[in-house]
Amino acid sequence: MKTSLPLLIAFIPFGLLLGSQAVQKGFSIVEVPLLTGLNFAGGSEFAAVGLWSIPPAIMLLAGVTFLINSRHILMSATLAPHLRHLPRWKIFLLLFFMCDEIWALTLTDLHDRPGRRLSIGFYAGITVCLYVSWVLFTFMGGYTGNLLGDLTRYGVDMAFPAVFIMLLKGMWKGARNAIPWCVSLGVAVLVYHFIPGAWYVPAGTLAGIITAFLTVRGA
Amino acid sequence: MLHIPALLAILAMALVTYLTRIGGYLLLAGRHLSPRMQAIMDLVPGCVLVAVIAPDFATGRPADLLGLAVTVLAATRFALLPTMLCGVIATGILRAVLG
Repeated sequence: MKTSLPLLIAFIPFGLLLGSQAVQKGFSIVEVPLLTGLNFAGGSEFAAVGLWSIPPAIMLLAGVTFLINSRHILMSATLAPHLRHLPRWKIFLLLFFMCDEIWALTLTDLHDRPGRRLSIGFYAGITVCLYVSWVLFTFMGGYTGNLLGDLTRYGVDMAFPAVFIMLLKGMWKGARNAIPWCVSLGVAVLVYHFIPGAWYVPAGTLAGIITAFLTVRGA
Repeated sequence: MLHIPALLAILAMALVTYLTRIGGYLLLAGRHLSPRMQAIMDLVPGCVLVAVIAPDFATGRPADLLGLAVTVLAATRFALLPTMLCGVIATGILRAVLG
């Protein structure tokens, strides 16, 4: 609860905003929490609302969702070595909820765990907090409409990179190890600039991994 | 209240998202990595993290870049909540001043 509190607060304006935008685009009040509860990936939900039409273009929505969420393939791959002690059904249940924030918080928590094993208690705790608040606030946003206005104008959207920068600090192991991160960031910024869509995430990550291959020697 | 095409679209999105979430796990589950591979894998999460926030570095607005710089600086000194507050408040002020 304590760990997820800063993120929970950051979720509120985004949830309200998404909900109100969705209703304006023709979502019914039931469909908003259905989307956010079943999909539970904020970025792709904002994109879907932006592309929403009646009737919705299902293939387009699925394709865009894949592009935006393809980063989760990389994220769940990084968790795989820490899940070995768990039965499969639990793993598949846990991974259903693995949004960016939960992945990131779990990763930092792993550093302090003996044997770097994922703690179900920790994961379940942050998941309940964040999942319930996301579904609840997107629903409320749809219910109340746009009361708050666009809070992102004021800088609330900086909360998300702030969390990620903190997480990088937790992973810091010297400047030499940060070289792949810098390459990843540089390539991602360039790709974001010149190629439309969400290709910047896999492109940046791939460049970073290649750099890691070249710079990391056998331990 | 619930329309079938909308329901189908939502289910399709949910399925795709779930597949990405179990996909990476299925690729690596049960494999044992060499120490060198392990060292490389340890760096991958950071690469994903910075790539995901890359758009924030590429908005082209000076206020956003300065706001990020403040956030990074705050991150080297404070815990998460004060860092977030510093970043959000600084960015809000910078956007108001610089446009």
